[in-house]
Amino acid sequence: MHEIVIARVAERQWHAVEDDRVVGRGDTSHRPDGRIFLSIDAWHDAVFDRLADAMLADLPRPLYTVVDEPDVDLTSCWQRAGFTTRRREWEYVLPTDPRVTGLGSVLSPEGVTTVPVGAAREDPLREVYDAIRAEVDATVGWESMPVEVPVRPDGTPLPLDPSKYAVAVQADRYVGLVRVTGRVALQPRIGLLAVRSDQRRRGIARSLLAHVLGALHHSGVETASAEVNESNEAAMALFEGIGARRVNSNLELVLR
Amino acid sequence: MARTAKGIEVEGTVITCLRDATFTVELENGHEVLAHISGKIRRNHIRILPYDRVLVELSPYDLTRGRILFRYRT
Repeated sequence: MHEIVIARVAERQWHAVEDDRVVGRGDTSHRPDGRIFLSIDAWHDAVFDRLADAMLADLPRPLYTVVDEPDVDLTSCWQRAGFTTRRREWEYVLPTDPRVTGLGSVLSPEGVTTVPVGAAREDPLREVYDAIRAEVDATVGWESMPVEVPVRPDGTPLPLDPSKYAVAVQADRYVGLVRVTGRVALQPRIGLLAVRSDQRRRGIARSLLAHVLGALHHSGVETASAEVNESNEAAMALFEGIGARRVNSNLELVLR
Repeated sequence: MARTAKGIEVEGTVITCLRDATFTVELENGHEVLAHISGKIRRNHIRILPYDRVLVELSPYDLTRGRILFRYRT
């Protein structure tokens, strides 16, 4: 390996250059909650370390990154730079077949009906989404959730797309929602499954899951995926109770 | 195959997803490489599945290894 030169080539981008060739890259992204996430791609550990040194010298702490837990080499690189594990997220593969999930006989709780994906009205969908988001903000916080909250560059929320949501309704009030995203025909992703706090422990999340997985099975899709923070025992119990398998895990690392 | 300042970039198709966050990718020339995903793909929770068309940057030090930079829409 020849001499490596590290250069900050843009506000959020660093390059490692060897013989006029880029042999490593680092960049940052800023989450809506203010956190800064780093990524570094390098072919050698020594290049990774040089990029990490340069980036950490330039950036305010705390800093975050995400690694696949089985990727022990990359995890070691970040640990060498001082990062420690903040939380773990399990990736699940969920069967959709009601004969496997046991959800075929699940009925909605009394007085609750399910509005299928694509049929929700946008205003009440926004209202229940905002209410649930406020509840999460006031409790565990969105930074503990697997999925980033999408916002515009100015911080205002993006419009909700009813084609991605099914909702649970009680007395004309939306009380829960499930978002189905990703490549729906290949392997859809359960992006968000949430119920208003005053309506929990009634089986609404389970009935929403039964609805969307059943619909996917009906359209020929055999599995879906989902990510769950390992501290969310209720969600893990729900998924594992229907035969979901853990297939991977991600670690969120932090440098304070 | 394009050789740029960034490195050698080539399109391919994901053949298998391995347990240690790596993938075997068949390139357009028929060669197979072992590829990791880039930090941006990981950070954005972009899922890579068998038969996905991807853009791979080959290692300048070992042309049997690569990094998946981009997943094309299917």
